[in-house]
Amino acid sequence: MTLNRFANRRHAFWSGIRDALGAPVLVLFAGMVGFGAMGRTQGFDVWMTGLTSLLMFALPGQVVMLEMFISGASLLAIGFAVTLTSTRFITMVVTLFPQFHRRDRNPWLYVWVHLLAMTAWAVSMREFPSIAPKHRLNYFIGLALPCWIIAPLGTVLGFFVAGWVPPAVTLGLVFINPLFFLLTFTDVKPWANRMAIGLGCVLGPVFFIWDADSSLLTTGLVAGTLAYVVDRTWLRPRPLVVKP
Amino acid sequence: MTEDLQGWGVWLGLTFACVGTYACRAVGVKLSGHINQESEIFRWLSAVTYAMVAALTVRMIVLPLGLLATVPLLLRVLICGLSLAVMVSSPQRRLGPALLTGTLMMLMYGSFQSSP
Repeated sequence: MTLNRFANRRHAFWSGIRDALGAPVLVLFAGMVGFGAMGRTQGFDVWMTGLTSLLMFALPGQVVMLEMFISGASLLAIGFAVTLTSTRFITMVVTLFPQFHRRDRNPWLYVWVHLLAMTAWAVSMREFPSIAPKHRLNYFIGLALPCWIIAPLGTVLGFFVAGWVPPAVTLGLVFINPLFFLLTFTDVKPWANRMAIGLGCVLGPVFFIWDADSSLLTTGLVAGTLAYVVDRTWLRPRPLVVKP
Repeated sequence: MTEDLQGWGVWLGLTFACVGTYACRAVGVKLSGHINQESEIFRWLSAVTYAMVAALTVRMIVLPLGLLATVPLLLRVLICGLSLAVMVSSPQRRLGPALLTGTLMMLMYGSFQSSP
């Protein structure tokens, strides 16, 4: 199969940028404005709030961190809880990066991986099958770079406008994030992954009530494994076995 | 607000959180070097990741922190349902209109609430 969607790597990079400057950047921006406003109202300074978005760049973890600071948790507990929330990055990277071309799978990936967030991951997983492997890394960088750059900008803006933006607008901004992820699920093709999403939606809240910190990991393992096994046992077409 | 939130403790906590988050990304890169995208383990991990991302999304909608929690659960779910309907109403998917539908409805609810 030949995939000639892009003429060269530069073209792939700029196409990534173009795809970013729509829903992905908007979603990141909205979420980070919400985070900045939250930091302001909880009494953090602008440097800390902005740097969190630049250096951590993982909104759910950032929110967990703020919440735990406010509730007066110990520093070690904060670090542990945030890291648990971020464990999804391990499998997000493991499912995305093997799709790059052999040549691109070098130590530079330790730099590019910082640009990865759920938004760029969801879009890349959808687009990669129609992109030639040698163009995928450049497309990914083009897609993820604007998302990363907009994060601290949105955060600082949110920090300064907190208080005079009507709550209705903030409500809309905060809602864009989960809505975007929910909508991208409709584009997922493999049945194992579709089932994993369905089971994750059902089991997620159950495990959350049971133990909030570890709930993402347990939901992922239980729902994901269940979906994988069901798909492998009953749904996947079996390779034709020719009996001698 | 309190003095504890401004001092060195905050910066140390931030450092822990950043290092922990980056460590997860780095572990991902390390492991990804040993995984082939045609393998069974890749399929399994894909399912696990989608389940995690789904759990996170549902958590943000069903059990949100802060402002979104002031919107009745039924309304949150209803708006999500309507946005999803807009999204799948075309085989090419209508991401923009669907996002707009949900966001505007949330905005309308918010302005309706603040002006009784």
